[in-house]
Amino acid sequence: MSGVAAIADGVASGSAPAAAVARDTGERLRRAADLNATLHWSQELLDRDAARLDRLPPAERARLPLVGVPVALKDNIVTTDQPTTCASRILEGYVSPYDATVVARLKAAGAIIACKTNLDEFAMGSSTEHSAWGRVKHPLDPARVPGGSSGGSAALVAAGVVPAALGSETGGSVRQPASFCGVVGVKPSYGRVSRFGLVAFGSSLDQVSVFGRSVDDAARVLAVISGNDPNDATSAAEPPMTLEPARRDLRGLTFGIPGEYVPADLDPGVKAGLDRAVQAIQDLGGTVRQVSLPHTRFAVPCYYIVAPAEAAANLARYDGVRYGQRRVGPEGDVRALYRATRGQGFGPEVRRRILIGTYVLSSGYYDAYYRKAQQVRALLADDFRKVFAAGVDLLLTPTTPTPAFKAGEKTEDPVAMYLADIFTCSLNLAALPAMSLPVGRSGGLPVGAQLVAPMFADARMLSVAAVLETVLDATREVR
Amino acid sequence: MSIRREDVLHVARLAELDVAEADLPKLVEQMGRIVGFVEQLNEVPAGEQAPPFLAGPAKTPLRADLVAPVPLVRPPSAIAPEFIHGFFSVPRLGAMEGE
Repeated sequence: MSGVAAIADGVASGSAPAAAVARDTGERLRRAADLNATLHWSQELLDRDAARLDRLPPAERARLPLVGVPVALKDNIVTTDQPTTCASRILEGYVSPYDATVVARLKAAGAIIACKTNLDEFAMGSSTEHSAWGRVKHPLDPARVPGGSSGGSAALVAAGVVPAALGSETGGSVRQPASFCGVVGVKPSYGRVSRFGLVAFGSSLDQVSVFGRSVDDAARVLAVISGNDPNDATSAAEPPMTLEPARRDLRGLTFGIPGEYVPADLDPGVKAGLDRAVQAIQDLGGTVRQVSLPHTRFAVPCYYIVAPAEAAANLARYDGVRYGQRRVGPEGDVRALYRATRGQGFGPEVRRRILIGTYVLSSGYYDAYYRKAQQVRALLADDFRKVFAAGVDLLLTPTTPTPAFKAGEKTEDPVAMYLADIFTCSLNLAALPAMSLPVGRSGGLPVGAQLVAPMFADARMLSVAAVLETVLDATREVR
Repeated sequence: MSIRREDVLHVARLAELDVAEADLPKLVEQMGRIVGFVEQLNEVPAGEQAPPFLAGPAKTPLRADLVAPVPLVRPPSAIAPEFIHGFFSVPRLGAMEGE
């Protein structure tokens, strides 16, 4: 399928009307049904939105940067004309009375909301197996997972159903599935994109993030959704991101490779993918040097205190009164209602994380766990600050420790599943922009490399990725 | 430290979450493993400190203190499970009144 720029050009000029894009998108969604990647879509909505765009005067259409571009949305981003369930029984049938800021901005830019995509329940997971509506299949191997928690969005972009999609990140939920599926996944700087209308999981970590078939596809969508929003107090007082002019090479740029991200037991295919990216950087005139981020091994344990603690607080609102399908408990009072609603409405992974979060915040344990995690989070962020202050422009690491794993492989062992985010969650803790770029395949499965930039250097990171993309054949085996 | 059955039941009460008896043994085991895993942080000495870290703006921006319409496409009555005479309706607060 065409990329974002080509679709928008075709619709703007009238050579490929939005109605045809909507029809084709519907046809591709139907063909991809086996992936179980969508939770809601309708041809009627697609046709309605397309017809509205085709009726606009040509000059007005030409001013809309994403005119006619179908974009899929993870189903934890609220929409007024489709349900938002977070893949949870507790929100079954919920329709928001307002659009998320990112949805409003996409619509204002002329994008067509293609569908709502499947995810791990409330974005808690790394494989999209924890959805109340069943797991998402990897587009290249249905026995494997697409990664998670934004697995539905990743699978649809990888399968060529849409050129771009929104996901959300709390610990790697866009970069990790992007790496598994062989697409581009960008987590912007914390505060770059409004969280208004993104269902909260870990508020100090969450960020709406973008998938694209190419760097350009993802960058164009990010440029539209970025920028300050008065409805989100954590949104940065920064102007919307603007795209940098295309680079020809990487001369003058220094890339740091943290040794802690290349352990001796790293999957050989992932290591070969990283080596290919290093070679490409050097061929383009960039400098590569070894650096150290000494607190790296504490990132996952730190994350699994901070994220569940914030989740336990954020998910308190699903009580059958403020939100959630109400279930009446046997005692008939309001507390029984809370317990029954939550006990029956949440799936096992969400229940487990609420219990862990409540435990680490509870009296007698707060200092030992939550306060300790805040100390370590500050040390992790300081590691990155020092490396960038020492003259490194960008960091390069693997995105994931392995390529896509088999479904069911890690569902019984939560700690093994958590370690799938070992190279990604540190950047959510440190609030930095980071992205996964496909670099090749290992045994037929995609492998990604991760670029990390200083705070609000998102555009620089994307321009570097764009030139790397031109020299890396991501469909070629890395070994 | 290890997680006991009573710990799980205690936090489940705090979290207002029913836990089925049949799920308890597995939860005790899995929570024990998770807590054991995160306790690695104790290897970081208490004296090892970095400047405090806060994601997002250092100061919370304030909007003008004006009442503005909330642009909802559906009113609260259409969203609430029960909405009577302009109020959200919930079961009686019996359990709380007894405490």
